[in-house]
Amino acid sequence: MLDALDKKLLKTVADLEGLPKGAYNIRKNGKLLDRQKSANIDIETNAEGTGIIVTIKPHTKNESVHIPVILSQAGLFDLVYNSFIIGEGAEVTIVAGCGIHCGTSEPEGHAGIHDFQVGKKAKVTYVEKHFAMGDGSGRRTLNPTTKVFLDEGATAEMELTQISGVDEADRLNEATLGPGSLLLITERVLTEGEQRAVSTNNIIMQGSGSRANMISRSVMKGNSKQIFHATMNALAKCFGHIECDAIIMDNGTNETMPALKALHPDAELTHEASIGKIANDQLTKLMSLGLTYDQAVNRIIQGFLK
Amino acid sequence: MLELKKLYFTIQDDDVDNGIPRNIIDGINFTFEKGKFYVITGPNGSGKTTLAKLIMGINPISSGSIIFEGKDISKLSITERAKLGIAYSFQQPARFKGITFRDLLAIATGNNDEKKFLEMVARVGICPLSFLDKEVDATLSGGEIKKIELATTIAANPKLAIYDEPDTGIDLWTIGPMVSLLKKELSPNTTTIVVSHNRAFLDAANVIIIIDKGRIVYTGDLKSALPLLTDLSICAYHNNCERDQDAGCLR
Repeated sequence: MLDALDKKLLKTVADLEGLPKGAYNIRKNGKLLDRQKSANIDIETNAEGTGIIVTIKPHTKNESVHIPVILSQAGLFDLVYNSFIIGEGAEVTIVAGCGIHCGTSEPEGHAGIHDFQVGKKAKVTYVEKHFAMGDGSGRRTLNPTTKVFLDEGATAEMELTQISGVDEADRLNEATLGPGSLLLITERVLTEGEQRAVSTNNIIMQGSGSRANMISRSVMKGNSKQIFHATMNALAKCFGHIECDAIIMDNGTNETMPALKALHPDAELTHEASIGKIANDQLTKLMSLGLTYDQAVNRIIQGFLK
Repeated sequence: MLELKKLYFTIQDDDVDNGIPRNIIDGINFTFEKGKFYVITGPNGSGKTTLAKLIMGINPISSGSIIFEGKDISKLSITERAKLGIAYSFQQPARFKGITFRDLLAIATGNNDEKKFLEMVARVGICPLSFLDKEVDATLSGGEIKKIELATTIAANPKLAIYDEPDTGIDLWTIGPMVSLLKKELSPNTTTIVVSHNRAFLDAANVIIIIDKGRIVYTGDLKSALPLLTDLSICAYHNNCERDQDAGCLR
């Protein structure tokens, strides 16, 4: 059953108060804690026993799957391979996330390798939150991988968030876009102290008329560092845009490398990137409305990562 | 209600004027009376915006003092001045990411009253309801963001409202209603200072203040100001101009 700590982690990463409605699979310390299927959503352990296969029947509408992972066992590094097969015309929300509680000096970590097969005209919204807490000094590591294959006319909307407490993160997002498909990724990462986060994104726009928009918002506090790579490979007539903004606070550092590769004459690719401190005019405006300097900074960061 | 005493704002730049200090605001003395509508005008670069920013505390004064309702606020922060009831509308408003018009109104008013917000939005000539949840970001047009700026200033219900060129980017049809709105906002408790060149504001002013080279060169009504304005508006180099000497233009 869920203890108080589990509940807090679940609340933070999946916005759940207790068990979710609909289908779910809760994994705790590398083992299955609880699972529920629905009429349209099947969840099975994969053949190797290393993760789950979630299958969503074609034309399923307005259903959701929660697959949170919680870790509180010292010294454990939990590696899991999950597959999502989204049937033609289905519309589904998948809420993933990992919460780590670290109470000792031993490291803890999780790597979720997720692949998505999104069927024709199917639409998936994928929400993933990463968070770590606890008084222990052990390093908390989260290395997620998502691989997305979009069939004709499919849409994937991905919200990837790393809230706080994660010492090391090395993320890989890969996507291959079929004809007329749409990929929207919004990534938000906050690092502080001595934390490090790397995000590598490879988007292959294979199908004609495919569209992709990658938005990255980074905030570096303390001495933390973030590295962001995003590459769009356009192999067909398509439209792609990368927008990456980073706010540096204290002594944080950032490296941002957007890359656009148009390998087709009708490809249209754009990017905008910015790195810098909070703009002075924003601070001045909020202070002139009565906020203190610190309140203004918090409000701006809160909005930026919203 | 607001008194400026021997106000100076001096800059010293080693690369400019051989490092000799230059007074951007050059000893201004003036008293603003409660509830009046003031328009500050003058040539580009004369110090109008700098003066407005000194009052709000955005730039620190070099010497002199600013007395607001009997209290010396010269050393107070922007936040402290805002809390005393001074509001400022920027010429080029800040653009944010992830902060909506509603968020700014909530910060300005300190509450979340939707009915009040809508009233406010309608008053500044922004109609659709959806506008309230629009992000105040780079996608807004120049006119839209100026209206939002104005609304947040009015929403703060200030004792002293300072507007720096509120008509920039605003369409011609909105300027008239905007002037009457700002005047209407002028309850007996609000003093308004507008920095503007726009005739519509000049017409509405109780008192016109003309600034040139960091000094007040005129205060009074529009009628007597007009000859001076015509003269000043032609060229910022009028003091150095050799006029009919037929020398090269300094511009």
